[in-house]
Amino acid sequence: MIVQTAFAEKAQEKALSVRELTKDYPGVRAVDTVSFDIDRNTVHCLVGENGAGKSTIVKMLTGALTPTSGSMAILGRDYEPGSTQDARESGVGTLFQELHVVDQLTVLENLTLGMEASRFGFLVKSDLENRVVKTLAAIEPTIDPKARVSSLSVAQKQIVEIARAASSGASIIIMDEPTAALSEREVERLFGVIRRLRDSDVTVIYISHKLDEIFELGDNVTVMRDGKHIATKPLAEVNGRPELIEMMVGRAITHDYEPRGEIAGNPVLNVKGLSNHLLKDVSFHVNEGEIVGFYGLVGAGKTEVARAIYGADKADGQIDFKGRKRAASPKEAIAAGIALVPEERRTQGLFTELTIRRNIPIMNIRKLASFGIFQDEREKEVAREYVGMLGIATNSIEKYAEKLSGGNQQKVVLSKCLFADADMLLLDEPTRGVDVGAKSEIYDLIRDLANNGRAICIFSSELEEVLGICDRVFLMYDGQVQATIKNGAEVDIPHILNVVTGGGSENT
Amino acid sequence: MTDQAVEGRRLAARDNRLSDEMFITSLVAGAAVALFLLASILVPNFFQFQNVVNLVTNNWAVISLGIGVTFLLVSGNFDLSVGGVVALSGVLAVWFAQAADGANALSSGWGMPTWLAMFCALIGAMLIGTVNAVFVVALRVPSIIVTLGTMMLARGIAQVITQGSQRNTNLPSDFGMLGNMAMFGSSIKMPVVLMAILILTAVFVERKTVFGRLTYLIGANPVASRLSGVDNARHVIKLYLFSAVMAGVVGILLASEFKSGFSNRGTLMEFDALVISLLGGVAIAGGFGSVIGMFFGAIILATVTSAATGLVLSPDWQFTLKALAVFIAIMAQSWALARRHTG
Repeated sequence: MIVQTAFAEKAQEKALSVRELTKDYPGVRAVDTVSFDIDRNTVHCLVGENGAGKSTIVKMLTGALTPTSGSMAILGRDYEPGSTQDARESGVGTLFQELHVVDQLTVLENLTLGMEASRFGFLVKSDLENRVVKTLAAIEPTIDPKARVSSLSVAQKQIVEIARAASSGASIIIMDEPTAALSEREVERLFGVIRRLRDSDVTVIYISHKLDEIFELGDNVTVMRDGKHIATKPLAEVNGRPELIEMMVGRAITHDYEPRGEIAGNPVLNVKGLSNHLLKDVSFHVNEGEIVGFYGLVGAGKTEVARAIYGADKADGQIDFKGRKRAASPKEAIAAGIALVPEERRTQGLFTELTIRRNIPIMNIRKLASFGIFQDEREKEVAREYVGMLGIATNSIEKYAEKLSGGNQQKVVLSKCLFADADMLLLDEPTRGVDVGAKSEIYDLIRDLANNGRAICIFSSELEEVLGICDRVFLMYDGQVQATIKNGAEVDIPHILNVVTGGGSENT
Repeated sequence: MTDQAVEGRRLAARDNRLSDEMFITSLVAGAAVALFLLASILVPNFFQFQNVVNLVTNNWAVISLGIGVTFLLVSGNFDLSVGGVVALSGVLAVWFAQAADGANALSSGWGMPTWLAMFCALIGAMLIGTVNAVFVVALRVPSIIVTLGTMMLARGIAQVITQGSQRNTNLPSDFGMLGNMAMFGSSIKMPVVLMAILILTAVFVERKTVFGRLTYLIGANPVASRLSGVDNARHVIKLYLFSAVMAGVVGILLASEFKSGFSNRGTLMEFDALVISLLGGVAIAGGFGSVIGMFFGAIILATVTSAATGLVLSPDWQFTLKALAVFIAIMAQSWALARRHTG
């Protein structure tokens, strides 16, 4: 009895405790018996590579996902949110990457939204307003409560959202990559807000890829890797970026692929000085038969490079593909022999409402028509051929793409590109959300294509992926290619992580 | 029930989706037949072959407009300008054909031969289609707003040319020929036959050609279709021009039939064309639907209004009945969509 009470008292000091938390997906254990504590009134950082399980944990904390097993407790009391609404009522607020403020209303109206006091259906003034105004003034006095939200900057809108969470009684606020869209000055301001929050009895869970921010802001850090908890410790005890990176990466990444270095084929793609709203003077070349990778964190500009080459976005600079001038539209790019597997499979690559058969020929649809009349029988043959060739697991070519698993959907998207007879493939996050088996099949396919003389560009935020398949890797940060490395046994992973998290590329 | 059983049932339900498009079309066709039979029981003398013919022939204009409107809806775009274009092209054809020496302003025109007057009127219709295309494609204004604007613009020009009424004098004798030409020695007029040919052609284009495929792709997922090398902009321009030509032809044929250019002709036809498309199962969000469905949608609307008005109820009820049809269409629509997305 005495022991239990002592335990309960100790637990009460913890804003949040997580015990043996596990989340299984079919075939994947996204979070694996994770336990850690978050001290009250601290900024607690959560770090890990993509796929480490951070966002799954956040989703369980906010009630968006239910754990497979394990428990959570807030201030020692069991916490089992059934929905995001539940989480909010238990005092867990979240600052999402997409903002949920109403532009047309004033700051004050936004802060009291959903909590308005009313009498006979008419809104009445209440002390609620005084309270939220005080909260806002305490964390960011420069925002006028009467200002219309549409007149605020993104950073200010974020702060309004934080104030809303704080004034609705949140004791824990989760922030997932809050600085992704902010300028340096705005980041400083946000940090000020976060520190003031911490001093006013709020615990902040802070998730970011930018390690400098972690060191500047955090009190404690929890490192995740492959769904497992690696360590939780005060940042003061972490020996700088190298140790944090080492914990994040852990074991050396295993390759089953022998990188070939730069392939001495004819250069097929030459890019010089590519610039747009995000890219800054990006230059590189790709040779025939070569697999090159673009590695960087979300927002580093990888997708923008792919889309610019493909003619999907406007950009300044020179793009020379096989001596032709740049494509002004995806249509021209395909005609020139470039095909793109887009980042968002379900919304950009696939027609989920159509069958496999209808999806495959889309990028080269006229090949299946004579005089504009579509040859259904030819289409069926083509679909069967590609389903067999890529090993798409389906009982029928008439199956809706929507019903396929992630890996099979991606194979359909790849089939589209192959049917387009492309000489160069741009693959943006080619194995995101794809299970392990399909992943290695997709890698085999990519290698085959390269061996047959096609040039392949892989844009990925998974280091394991680029080191597992690419010959050369361009490291991107902040819209620029910071360094180029030849893949091989001697790659220096801490150095790579240092470069892509903004640590500069000196001592290459 | 176990999770697996639920999942199994869910998958089985989804397998039925294979024939969704055919399913909806058959449903609409079945509803049209059922309504006709119901009307035959309730209304004396309704069950006659001539009545079936009338349901189609009386609605050739709206059905023809429905073809262009359906194609645009499938591509994810509205065209509310077709009614206005019907008025404008009819008025233009008459105005261009009227002799130049009339006694007053409303009886003097440009003195063109009939064929040239009609051709120029068609160009006028295409100009409205061009305005639609420019605003929707190049300036990316929502199509419902653009075509609401051109609807008023087209009718407005027609009203200026007719000074708010109509032009019907001083026309060449052959002006009324096309619209009144009887075919196959029967009472069926040329425009009706033209409509039938257009419907069959449209069904072929929709089912069998690359052009038809692209229309569905753009409506189903415009982002993916662009990234897959489809020139969305060019295709939508073609669709707006096609729809405007259809409306132009209808307007000219109606002007020929009545030997007049009337600025109020085709009023509310754009809404009728939209209603029959929706009744026929075309998805308002694009990517789904068929011209055959639209045709049966028109039959449903015609059966309801013709059976009820003048026979059971006074003609004053016509709008109320149409409203009812619209509500049913919208509910059937969301039911079909729910089936597609949750099934």
